Amino acid sequence: MKNIIVCVKVVPKSDNIIFDPVNKRLDRTKAENQINAADKSAIETALRIRERVGGKITLLSMGPPFFEPFLKLGIAMGVDEAILLSDRNFGGADTFPTALVLATAIKKIGNVDLVLTGEESSDAGLGQVPSQIAEFLDFPQVLFASTTDISGGTLIARRSIKGGYEILESDLPAVVSVVLGAYQPRFPDFKKKKWADNNYKVKVWNGEDLQLSESVTGIKGSFTTVKRLVEIPQSSRKKIIIDGTPEEKSSKLVEILRKAK
Amino acid sequence: MTRKEIWVYIERNNSGVEDVSLEILGKGTELSNISGYILVGLIAGTPEKKLIDLVIEHGADRVALLKNEMLNEYSTDYFVNAISEYIKNDPPEVMLIGATQNGRDLAGRLAGRLKTGLTANAITLSIDREGMLLAGVPAYGGKILAEIGCEYGRPQMSTVRPGTFKMKEVKNKKGEVDEFIPNLSAIRQRVRIVERNVSEVNDLTRSERTIIGGNGTRGDLTLLKELAQLMNAEIGVTRPLADRGVAPRELQVGSTGYSLKSKIALVLGVSGSEHFTSGIRDCEEVIAIDVDEKSEIFNHCDYCMVGDIFEVLPLTIKKMEETR
Repeated sequence: MKNIIVCVKVVPKSDNIIFDPVNKRLDRTKAENQINAADKSAIETALRIRERVGGKITLLSMGPPFFEPFLKLGIAMGVDEAILLSDRNFGGADTFPTALVLATAIKKIGNVDLVLTGEESSDAGLGQVPSQIAEFLDFPQVLFASTTDISGGTLIARRSIKGGYEILESDLPAVVSVVLGAYQPRFPDFKKKKWADNNYKVKVWNGEDLQLSESVTGIKGSFTTVKRLVEIPQSSRKKIIIDGTPEEKSSKLVEILRKAK
Repeated sequence: MTRKEIWVYIERNNSGVEDVSLEILGKGTELSNISGYILVGLIAGTPEKKLIDLVIEHGADRVALLKNEMLNEYSTDYFVNAISEYIKNDPPEVMLIGATQNGRDLAGRLAGRLKTGLTANAITLSIDREGMLLAGVPAYGGKILAEIGCEYGRPQMSTVRPGTFKMKEVKNKKGEVDEFIPNLSAIRQRVRIVERNVSEVNDLTRSERTIIGGNGTRGDLTLLKELAQLMNAEIGVTRPLADRGVAPRELQVGSTGYSLKSKIALVLGVSGSEHFTSGIRDCEEVIAIDVDEKSEIFNHCDYCMVGDIFEVLPLTIKKMEETR
């Protein structure tokens, strides 16, 4: 019986974020949200480990109350419990206080064997939270795992490296970040989804519950700030259009490729 | 006290050092000139003298050598401990690390240990008049560049995307070496490698001719590989293909992958999200083929072909073979 935590983030779908070049602001109001794709792979990894060795899976997320329905989606996928870490003071956090809040909650849960996360979020894409959770818990870390399993008291993970792969073993408890696409996440169970929407209550912990002072969370606990947002300049490519039949196009392509040699 | 220095973590590999470490030294030389900060290469382990010379010849004013055989192979526990113990009392102003897998593994944990700020996968770096490092990161689908500064905590840390900056050799450069022997006997290595299988790969960032496949290839790279052989090109893929396991991560172009500096890049079946196009920004000539004439990729190429790659490529391959 293993006690597994999966940390997830709800992110906007990037296609519908609009950048206002005049005010240099982002309009996220039209953006649909979703559980970060790599985090879903982490959920799937946890479910598979539980199928093999048994245990309990707790979903953990730091964010505003609108995250709740997304955590219920996790319940419908099969996790046992969902906890939302939500407090006005948690807002505007960079990775350091984010990892601190998550690590503090994991300590509060106690007796944890394995913490799984996605490799990185699709919005910020920093991938720093997993190793910082590990640091604050003093757990070993394995990043970018494609398969993760537990055998006895040992973690076994495989990851791709330049030109191949490696298999790692680690002491438990450990933090593992899972690559996007590690496993195809299962669909939420329709009946469970309905049940969770109507009956499941996501547990919510705030700063006080975690005994974290305002000064170490959110903006105040962050080390970095966004100093400037700049629109990435459009490329100055020639944009020459090549028309014609496939035959003509291929001839032209050969010509361009030959010229470049 | 902080040292008025820029430290660059030199990542060692089987053939010497990762290119990205030398690329950061190239940019670091420029940052050092602007800020007056001294450029230091941080090397761990017991490397050959040749490697130390290489680091100095690529711009380092000094080499900080953490000399211990236990540091010849990367491990999170040993490296984070050795580096943090070495610098925690008088950290440098800036510390830069290549955004490789191990570099990212190290950077996140080191920033946590040193209680300082870290930016990831930077594609621009500058130092402002107050001595603040501004690290530019493509954010929110890569439509914008967020310049991030570290207000509190030192060193100001950032990882840097491989292939972004150019390495520069500085002739007759002299530099001193500071040696330190970290004591790691009390540190337990909690993660151990039990098996490793690696074949030699070509570094995409060095590729002069590159063919890149996206979703439009339907995950079938057969034709791309045939053409690549004929034009002596390397293969790259977009993130969705790497995610699906069509090709390994080290062939992924764009954000969280590699930036190319190829003379010619042939981009096939790629829709052209900013996450991808930032990775071909520095290519000399870009040719794109895609079925959708509205594809964003056509705003990022020199030659635009609307068409089916499964029609155009076989004909192209045939002609290349005939006129070889």
